[in-house]
Amino acid sequence: MNKNISTILKAVSKPGRYSGGEYGQIIKDKTKVKARFAFCFPDTYEIGMSNLGMRILYGVLNEESDVWCERVYNPWSDMQEQMKKYGIPLTACESGDPISDFDMIGFTLQYEMSYTNVLNMLDLAGLPLKSSERAEDSPIIIGGGPCAYNPEPVADFFDLFNIGEGEEMLPELCRLYIKMKDEGRYTKADYLHEAARTIEGIYVPSLYEVSYNEDGTIKEYKPKYDDIPKTVRKRIMTDMDSSYFPKKVVMPYIETVHDRVMLEVFRGCIRGCRFCQAGIIYRPVREKSPEVLNEQAKCLFEATGYDEISLTSLSISDYTELEALTDMLLKWTDDNMVSLSLPSLRVDSFTKELMDKIASVRSSSLTFAPEAGTQRLRDVINKNVTEADLLRAVNVAFEAGKNKVKLYFMEGLPTETHEDLEGISRLASSVVDAYYKCPTRNKARQPQVTISVSCFIPKPFTPFQWVAQDTIETLEEKQRYLGSKITDRKVVYTHHDARVSRIEAVLARGDRRLSAALEEACREGFKFDAWDECFDYDRWISVFEKTGIDPAFYANRELSVDEVLPWDIIDCGVTKEFLIREYKNAKNEKTTPSCREKCSGCGANKLGGERSCCPKAVK
Amino acid sequence: MLSEGSKITRPEYLRILPEIESPITVRLKFVKLGSLQYISHLDLQRTFNRVLVRSGLPIWYTKGFNPHAKLVFSTPLSIGTQSECEFLDIRLDREMPLEDIKRMLNAEMSDEMYITDVYIPNAKFSDIAFCEYEYELFFKGASEKAADEIKTLFTTSPLNMIKRTKSGEKEIDIASLIKSIEVAFCAEDNAVRMDAVLSAGTDNFLNPEMLITALKERFAIFSGDLSSEWYSIIRKRSLDSGLKEFR
Repeated sequence: MNKNISTILKAVSKPGRYSGGEYGQIIKDKTKVKARFAFCFPDTYEIGMSNLGMRILYGVLNEESDVWCERVYNPWSDMQEQMKKYGIPLTACESGDPISDFDMIGFTLQYEMSYTNVLNMLDLAGLPLKSSERAEDSPIIIGGGPCAYNPEPVADFFDLFNIGEGEEMLPELCRLYIKMKDEGRYTKADYLHEAARTIEGIYVPSLYEVSYNEDGTIKEYKPKYDDIPKTVRKRIMTDMDSSYFPKKVVMPYIETVHDRVMLEVFRGCIRGCRFCQAGIIYRPVREKSPEVLNEQAKCLFEATGYDEISLTSLSISDYTELEALTDMLLKWTDDNMVSLSLPSLRVDSFTKELMDKIASVRSSSLTFAPEAGTQRLRDVINKNVTEADLLRAVNVAFEAGKNKVKLYFMEGLPTETHEDLEGISRLASSVVDAYYKCPTRNKARQPQVTISVSCFIPKPFTPFQWVAQDTIETLEEKQRYLGSKITDRKVVYTHHDARVSRIEAVLARGDRRLSAALEEACREGFKFDAWDECFDYDRWISVFEKTGIDPAFYANRELSVDEVLPWDIIDCGVTKEFLIREYKNAKNEKTTPSCREKCSGCGANKLGGERSCCPKAVK
Repeated sequence: MLSEGSKITRPEYLRILPEIESPITVRLKFVKLGSLQYISHLDLQRTFNRVLVRSGLPIWYTKGFNPHAKLVFSTPLSIGTQSECEFLDIRLDREMPLEDIKRMLNAEMSDEMYITDVYIPNAKFSDIAFCEYEYELFFKGASEKAADEIKTLFTTSPLNMIKRTKSGEKEIDIASLIKSIEVAFCAEDNAVRMDAVLSAGTDNFLNPEMLITALKERFAIFSGDLSSEWYSIIRKRSLDSGLKEFR
């Protein structure tokens, strides 16, 4: 470690974020590698170190003997002040070298509110923000992750995007880079063109021209070359059993958000809730087999020493082999003082048998997500759970002595009325009643039902992508209304900040013109906008005004199903026809069965996939 | 895929060792250097829990509702201080060669934190009365004269400083807690070196960082440009009340 930095670290909070030296980090000889890759997580160390995708891709890239991938996180404000004061640029954890000297810099885009951190990090690295302003020898800036499915708001800053799963794409990008350098035919322009032309899933925004209609909507996307795809189709790993799995984990010394083994059980989701982006973009469902998962869990336990294994996937209880897997795991986890946990539970599949197996329920609290307060609205959003399901699930919990239940809801959902909001309060009260009716409840304790209400945000590639978000005034009025309806003192009510949700909606459905606003935001020092203490709505509005952006055009306008959407340049496998069909079903309050009950023809089966429930792809 | 023989450091005989009646306590002496100086005591406990599990040692677990390994550390080390002599007592439910314990643990540790000695302890941690620290100070104006002034500062009682504790602030005379101190100017690298023996008992523990704070307050050293001034502190030895090295 640099001696000067060592004294500076004594002046900042949580210096363990910056000191590096973790067990399991990968160190290579920088004089012997041909490509250095800085993998950036645009948030704090504690959040980034908990990200499973980053763990996987760090391992995948370092499997390439001539590539060295290092980790980079965004330093907290106090550290940034010190860096500015002493002229210290943004460096990578492993080597401590400035990332501006690297060959490639990758950002994982996990949530829209981290966009300002991406620019903040480029700025700390001393790099020009816009790809058009960066020099020929400056690193290639790559974006990926769920937000890359609408890359347009940040298109001006990135040289290229990875659309879909990166396990194969990122090494392919490095191989192409090294090959062109070795053959002496590398120029940045040629590299970007060749990547777009030859590697599936690569979107190079500068190679597409966008024109607009007079009303501000998009007229068309025009590729600058005939040999690059007109739409970029996402990549997936078709066989999860043989897909790369990191046997080693970098072990943080300081406490992070998820200090546990994260066992990825499957990708995708069979459900198709109509507000949920993850449920669409990760299709088709691809499971790992329980034998493979059991081996991987053992391996990770031995490599980490963690005392908890979390089965992570969307809607984990939909795993077809959940019972077989938990049985296999319990054969050795108990003896090794390891507990199992599940991050999310569906009320219709929560059983006593399951609860007995998992540790998250050893705590007195359980969390469920009914999402809406009435059956009508739950049908609109295709949640496909009933009040009876919920009451049965909480009864299982209460019978086992639990007394706390947390319920997630959304407000501002399409077609929502005051009656639906009242339904949230009513549902919460009926959970309280269920507690008192439960004869085997823990009589020493009072029930506590927490309802946490977030604001609906229309997201790309969902059946609700065309829906106008409620205005702030409406969202806040609804929050107050719901508050006034909650009279039960056993019910605790919390809700998200509607102002954050509005900015998130603008960024989620934004087009390339938003890059100007983000650039201005960076110039004004915006960072950590996902953190309450750093978010300032009025300053966002002022930035939009300065750059001629009308936030309502992006957040509060109902889009036409006929208009060209910014993210139409991306093909996520699921067809627009399916999303339109689902949008209509929502309006008709008609539910759609899960993929396992009946294929609804979303189109994702054309991508292939082993241990999937999709009917065979029709080519 | 894995996992047969994946822990090659784990000796075969562990499988057949009988469990012993009551757990044995083993003392680990370890170093905590470089980037590990920024890891807090709480994080260190967490880290050792994982190291112990990874090592495959026959850990003894408490028998309660929430079984856990029993770890007892000696004098905590504050953030920003390195150490060559940290101690940790662990409990095992099998008897095994001490050399194997050291090898198995070090396979799971790093070149900045590793075990230097493993033994069955005789002394109690409460016997530790003093710790010896080595300071390296690089600052503008480092000289023979500055070294003398620093020595005078620390050897003249009272040197009253504000100590912040959980229960509030109080004034303490840190000179009275400095058992001995040597200060020397090293012309070769233009630095001042200090060797200080400080009180380290449970009720009179002096944080070695307090000496730096005194330099900041009295001489304005390390209070300006941190890119040209820096310091390091290393705990070298722990001593009992008779100034004999603690083990």
